[in-house]
Amino acid sequence: MKQHTMTRRSFLAAAGAFGAATMAVPRFALSQDGSVLTVRSYSDLQVLDPAFRLSLPEDDIIRSIFAPMVIPQAGDTWGWKAIAVDSIDQLDDVTIAFTLKDNIGFTDGYGQMTAEDVKFSIERIADPAMESPYAGDWSALKEVEVKDKLSGLIHLKNKFVPLWSTTLPTPASCILSKRAMEELGDKITTQPVAQSGQYILADWQPKQKTVLRRNPDWAHEPGGFDEIHILPIEDPATAERGFEAGDLDYTWTSVSSLPRLKADPPAGSVVLEKPSLAYVWLGINQDVAPFDNPNIRRAVQHAVDRQGVVDAAYFGAASVGNGIIAPGLPGSRSSVTYDYDPDKARALLEQEGATNLSVTLDILNQSERLTAAQVIQANLADVGISCEIKQNDSGTFWTLGSKDGDYWNKLQLILSRYSMQPDPSWATVWFTPEQVGVWNWERFNNAEYKALHEQGLVESDNAKRDEIYKKMQGLMDESGCYVFLTHEVVGAIHRDTIVPGLKPNGESLFSEFKAA
Amino acid sequence: MFGVVLVLLMIGGAVFADLLVAAEPNRISPRDRFQGPSLAHLMGTDQLGRDLFSRVLHGGRIALSVALISIAASLVIGVVLGLIAGYGPRWLDNLMILLFDAIKSFPTVMLALALVTLFGPSLTAVMVVVVLVNVPGYARIIRTQTLALKSAQFVTAAQSMGAGTARVLRAHVLPNVIGPLLILASMDIPVVIAIEAGMSFLGLGVRPPTPSWGAILNDGFTAIRDTPWIAIAGGLPIILTTLGFTFLGETLRDVFDPRLKARG
Repeated sequence: MKQHTMTRRSFLAAAGAFGAATMAVPRFALSQDGSVLTVRSYSDLQVLDPAFRLSLPEDDIIRSIFAPMVIPQAGDTWGWKAIAVDSIDQLDDVTIAFTLKDNIGFTDGYGQMTAEDVKFSIERIADPAMESPYAGDWSALKEVEVKDKLSGLIHLKNKFVPLWSTTLPTPASCILSKRAMEELGDKITTQPVAQSGQYILADWQPKQKTVLRRNPDWAHEPGGFDEIHILPIEDPATAERGFEAGDLDYTWTSVSSLPRLKADPPAGSVVLEKPSLAYVWLGINQDVAPFDNPNIRRAVQHAVDRQGVVDAAYFGAASVGNGIIAPGLPGSRSSVTYDYDPDKARALLEQEGATNLSVTLDILNQSERLTAAQVIQANLADVGISCEIKQNDSGTFWTLGSKDGDYWNKLQLILSRYSMQPDPSWATVWFTPEQVGVWNWERFNNAEYKALHEQGLVESDNAKRDEIYKKMQGLMDESGCYVFLTHEVVGAIHRDTIVPGLKPNGESLFSEFKAA
Repeated sequence: MFGVVLVLLMIGGAVFADLLVAAEPNRISPRDRFQGPSLAHLMGTDQLGRDLFSRVLHGGRIALSVALISIAASLVIGVVLGLIAGYGPRWLDNLMILLFDAIKSFPTVMLALALVTLFGPSLTAVMVVVVLVNVPGYARIIRTQTLALKSAQFVTAAQSMGAGTARVLRAHVLPNVIGPLLILASMDIPVVIAIEAGMSFLGLGVRPPTPSWGAILNDGFTAIRDTPWIAIAGGLPIILTTLGFTFLGETLRDVFDPRLKARG
């Protein structure tokens, strides 16, 4: 029998040849048959219920597996695209007529989608008994009238300006099976039944991977890939490394990496920069000491060098923001009512006898947030406030201020980032009194703000809306609960072998991704 | 000798950090971010413009204090429990072995994550993890050696001369079993430093802005495409300390067991 011996020289030669071969073979971002898309999401899924969703990545999954009436249109202009409806038209200020496509089925034997399911799904979110945080999306709803099997009318109580921009094109228009929901309970967790979208949820490995598979029963425009693998990677810098290693086909990048990536994009990739609708701010819980004293909140507003925080965290790629409404929308502001003035901050603290203050700042465990938090920490130290930074994973972070948890009455400072839809009401709604302990973690509670929010929903004159929303942000400034930092920009990178389906602000629409 | 020099350098750097470098480790200066090594900043600066050399030296304090305090605590607890298990009654020995094995069966990282989830990220949590992880190993070694010495002639002689259990353990058993443990402990120090660095890398160790080698390494990972110096500054001391304490352990082994040296 022939003996094969491995010498050190032959081992090194073989290893060298293997390495060279590995380098020579091009990396396929897509699988061999081009049918698997691998994307990153910034958080893992926790809830797949359109009425109780927690994050943007969940929105995208929900929209893919529960057919919505419409979705946002991919491209550079805001609009919508019909998915489950053949037609949907606004008949007058308070009436919308719709007709469903004829052959959309629910999985698990729950039959065909009908207008009854539309009525159930929309009225469910609006029902105060459900306590959906998204009830505001349908706050103007009077009822859904079923005309026949596939068509019906949505009746509103009053004119509702954001309907076509921030209600219908969101998961608030996703259609659930009435029968399935009545049989199986009133909430969907992470195991959806009666799916109906272009994709179905095929697998979910917590903290590792979510797999969407093309719905074989979907008879209309199919999803672009056989499977979409969604990897939850919280830190964008880690995702960038994953993209460069060939493990991802698409990811958001950190804002701070944009200048470098734009100057020197990885081979075979396309770098995108989009205007963002997001807003980042330092929130101050007004119900927890020492911040139950408005002058101490104001001291923090004056202590934070917003320009310094944004420059340090985003390396010059983002500008300072002045509120919650992004540039270009009615209500966008060019300034805030407080300035960076450490002396004034010290004077306010001294006036209140607040010496040796020690507070905590909760943040998401992400490099940009940590950098921003450390600058805030240094700013606060400069005026005599000792600040401890607490890093949280996304699962913990997004429940910190919830009234159902036990941390909201310990939460003091929080560095937050929300994203919005292209209507100012979608930014202001989260800070109304009804949202205290839901998404309003600063517990800002102002009746005038609420009245203005409701006024904005029915006002269609853009000049008047601009005035209303600016006034609302002025009230937020005045409360001392907010230090507005930035609207960021959105950076994304994708393989040149795919065409990503993105909203104008760079947010993904999984169902709209196609192979190039 | 090389190990001793490295360890002394590391300890000296940590202890005299304030004298060796003027820059304050937490002083932020964003305009100076991502600078390469220079006379002003020997290891460059990080994403917030903080001096990396200063942060590395001050980070050494954290790493070495976590390592030395938690290893010392593990040694004391491990020795006491090992002596009790080895010298005590059989049922107690069995019970303690069961306890040691139960603790040992937890993967270190899982145990660390569980404790940090329960008590929150802190230096104390890191030290508790290290102690919990190391005590069973040390106790088992002491127990085995104690069992072997329990019926040795000099122990029997001491007992027959009226020496009590405490005296037998302290004066006759302990000096004969402690040597191998010191070698093991010195070799465990880099492991502990790696645990602390790993926890800080994950954001579960010391709180920012306290400098820690793991946190510096994490900053370096994030900014690796902008500058390699932060990752180098975070990684280099971990490598050097690991080498230093490993060589020191081998030196100690040669001192305590000259037969091994002759064989080697």
